[in-house]
Amino acid sequence: MKRSRKADDFMGREFVITREYDAPRELVFKAWTDPKHLVRWWGPEGFTNPVCEWDARPGKRIYVVMRGPDGTDYPMGGEFREVVAPERLVFTSGAMDEKKRLLFEFLHTVTLAERAGGTLLTVRSTVTMTTPGAGRYIGGFEMGMTQSLVRLGRSVQPQG
Amino acid sequence: MVKYRTSTLDRTFAALSDPTRRRILRQLAGGSRCVTDVARPHSMSLPAVSKHLRVLESAGLLRRRRTGRVHTLRLEAAPMRRASRWIGDYRRFWEGNLDRLEGYLKEVQAKEITHEKE
Repeated sequence: MKRSRKADDFMGREFVITREYDAPRELVFKAWTDPKHLVRWWGPEGFTNPVCEWDARPGKRIYVVMRGPDGTDYPMGGEFREVVAPERLVFTSGAMDEKKRLLFEFLHTVTLAERAGGTLLTVRSTVTMTTPGAGRYIGGFEMGMTQSLVRLGRSVQPQG
Repeated sequence: MVKYRTSTLDRTFAALSDPTRRRILRQLAGGSRCVTDVARPHSMSLPAVSKHLRVLESAGLLRRRRTGRVHTLRLEAAPMRRASRWIGDYRRFWEGNLDRLEGYLKEVQAKEITHEKE
């Protein structure tokens, strides 16, 4: 049963992630919709976001440049589709090549529900487009992520 | 580093973008079937189903074996596995983001409490 459900999920070319946060829903929503907040946590551990065009209103374009610990930039583009405070955010996003062309695109639906003093977050992501460059990108990106994890491992070594 | 045959990946997702084709693949997940068996539950003509079968075939998602007039279809798992792995890698990026958000929310709330005390 479990196996067939997983196959179904994949057939829909999507994944679903849930997380419970010990924070009020309004704050979680703000962390998702205010670029000042977003730059502080978006991307893998050790990455920064030197460019963050993130105006959370339907129809507005998204352009974020994530910078890996080794200085490699990973530009990302997309568009907001639906913004319902403080519970729902629908947007597309995908990686771009050096000419700002999308390599692939996913449709993400982020929903926030109140849960006993905290917030239950659900992200449902469906692939909507891939190009021949998509696979290579994720490969390179994974390397950047691994490097940052190695770096993180070093930084948490006991000091002195 | 994980390597993907990218053009295949692209074709796999394009083929999977249609609900009829996804349904056909689910039918074949249970084992090989002949074309007429596959076509039966679909509310469309045999030529229409055949068109979808050709898309799946050219994406390498199914193989066709001809025995006389009977065409038997078999699922090819490898391209689906590659596509699934690719989705999995992207999912890990999102999981990392959401973990990092947890740390950030804690940090922001701790700051708010400090401000209140001041």
